[in-house]
Amino acid sequence: MTTTVTAETTPATGLDHLEIQGVKKVFGDNTAIERLDLSVHRGEFLSLLGPSGCGKTTLLRMIAGFETPTDGAILLSGKDIVSLPPHRRPVNTVFQSYLLFPHMNIADNIAYGLKQAKVPKPEIAQRVREVLALVQMEDFAGRKPEQLSGGQQQRIALARALVNRPQVLLLDEPMSALDRKLREEMQLELKRLHTKLDTTFVFVTHDQDEALAMSDRIVVMYDGVIQQIGTGEDIYANPTNGFVAGFIGKQNFIPAEVASIDYGTARLRTANTVLEVPSLDLRPATAAGRTETLRAGERVRAAIRPERIRVAPAGQEPATANTARGTVMSYSFLGDVIQYMITVGDNDEILARVPAAGSTPLSADAEVDLSWDADAVAVYGCEGGSSSSDREGGA
Amino acid sequence: MSTTAQPNRQQPSPTPPRPPAAPSPGRAERGISARFFGASAMSFPTWAYVLFFFVIPVALVVFYSFGYKPDEFTAIATDRLSFDRYPEAMTTSFVTTFFATLRISILGTILCLLIALPFAYWLAIKVSPARRSLALALVMVPFWTNFLVRTLGWQIMLSPDGFLSNWMQALGLLDGPLDILYTRSAVQIGVVYNYLPLMILPLFVAIDASGKKLREASYDLGAGKVKTFMRVTLPMAMPGVVSGCLLVFIPLNGDYVTATVLGGASGSMVGQLIANQFNTAQNWAVGAAMAMILIISTLVVVGVGFALLKLGQTITARLNSVPLMDGRA
Repeated sequence: MTTTVTAETTPATGLDHLEIQGVKKVFGDNTAIERLDLSVHRGEFLSLLGPSGCGKTTLLRMIAGFETPTDGAILLSGKDIVSLPPHRRPVNTVFQSYLLFPHMNIADNIAYGLKQAKVPKPEIAQRVREVLALVQMEDFAGRKPEQLSGGQQQRIALARALVNRPQVLLLDEPMSALDRKLREEMQLELKRLHTKLDTTFVFVTHDQDEALAMSDRIVVMYDGVIQQIGTGEDIYANPTNGFVAGFIGKQNFIPAEVASIDYGTARLRTANTVLEVPSLDLRPATAAGRTETLRAGERVRAAIRPERIRVAPAGQEPATANTARGTVMSYSFLGDVIQYMITVGDNDEILARVPAAGSTPLSADAEVDLSWDADAVAVYGCEGGSSSSDREGGA
Repeated sequence: MSTTAQPNRQQPSPTPPRPPAAPSPGRAERGISARFFGASAMSFPTWAYVLFFFVIPVALVVFYSFGYKPDEFTAIATDRLSFDRYPEAMTTSFVTTFFATLRISILGTILCLLIALPFAYWLAIKVSPARRSLALALVMVPFWTNFLVRTLGWQIMLSPDGFLSNWMQALGLLDGPLDILYTRSAVQIGVVYNYLPLMILPLFVAIDASGKKLREASYDLGAGKVKTFMRVTLPMAMPGVVSGCLLVFIPLNGDYVTATVLGGASGSMVGQLIANQFNTAQNWAVGAAMAMILIISTLVVVGVGFALLKLGQTITARLNSVPLMDGRA
């Protein structure tokens, strides 16, 4: 299944810098990575995104050489590197907990890799100074790591990896220990460095905002399997399965039954309303399934993004399809948007987000009419890995 | 034994002294109860222990070393104080034995370090956590066995008609019977065996604490196993090396059981001479003076060792560091 996913996105050969071919990793009787194929383009910023335990860190550690694949090949510029120990691979890692050497000062930490490569001393000094300037930490060369804040240590960890001019820079959730403001600063910084250096970055994260903010392409992983590969826009607007739909952004999943199909339009009946969908695509719950055509009588999940839902005070009796009448349970002002939690009928909860500018907040208990465009609805299958995506959205 | 074994309570701690205790929550209430239950009060048992079992006995030894033996039936008199016992203690046999002891201790410490380092590395890095307790138990169980008994075990092992001797002759490794019991070599083997666990444990803890992840960072930056050990693991385990050496060297310097059991006449250690002065000759003043010489010279050797270590660290740091030419480094 993963091969079909990559087949669409694999570009012309020659661009591919790092190729992961049929890699599988088994720990004891637990399969961490299931036969995975992935091509990373030269100079690309690629994020591996997924919940914890999805295998993204294991994949990164196999590229770095800390884990050996149970099966498969990892090609760097066309050469299989699986048999090389970590210290012989032209890749460097920025670790989650920085891992600066506590007994060396900052300059010596950064120079460590160059010394192993037997770079002449004057050149080491030159390159250390350059990379310190690059991460804007020139004044800290003589300090010890313990004298630096978390954000500063992170910059040094980045400098220590970049100074070696690795073919691929691996980043293992490098910002998870930073506070929100610092994290956003570092995201911009990292993006700036990537643009400037033209190095291939492989970035592991569980934070979708981080992935969306920085990546050229995102690889969504779940359960050791690639769920979808694409640009941020692509994955957000056009998730190919229910897991991705629920994992990226907020999503309202509404249980529904296909009532009828005519002339390319499906009518779905839910507990409280009717949906008219102009597409007959039934997307699978996870990448394990395939997209099929809707059939009458099938039980499915309809998904609508909160920002695609319009909220208006209850007025005339609403139109029959793609609308619903509900009651505001709660609302929260998020700055740029207002988020409503709306109950429809007895048990459907709908999350809606409307732009804050120019709209009057509706108070709790207000009767409201909800409406959405027909093309805002996507339909996903119920079976299999639906449980984890259910948590993301409404009913 | 008590006099000579004492310096090991005084070993300089490898970690810097603790900062003054933070104000305890109870301090806010002020008053005597808060202060009574504070950190300083809770450490009272330790202070009392150090005072009664270290400070006072050592002070007594210092005091007795200035006294004299008045007559054959009295061990000590302190009505006249002088430094005279010190030159008196420095007999030729004492000086010879003293340097032999120093040699055994320094060599013993080095041997313990060389044996313990690979073992501790293996234990901390290669052995799975599940098996580690077993390996540690194998180290500790003999250590908990009575000191005298396990030293006597070596007497059997090293004796000319013991099984080791017989096997080595049978294998053609020796022409005649093994002839090292009651020599300095036997004492050397005995002390390395007896003090090895005291070196292994702190080394194991230090290497274990240096962490797998930092080693991974080192591999990631292009360093192989040997380089990683030399540049990351060993420097970070240095506090463990220092405490291990202190734990072995100081008590070893005052040990006299091993030498008594395995050393005979040619392998005696200074601790035996001191014990003889107290127990046999009943001359506490000379014994105390000998003990003082031993304590002071032990401290001097430890101090010199520390200075050499610092010097070595400064030199390697100089050699390894990158001079950034703008003088910021």
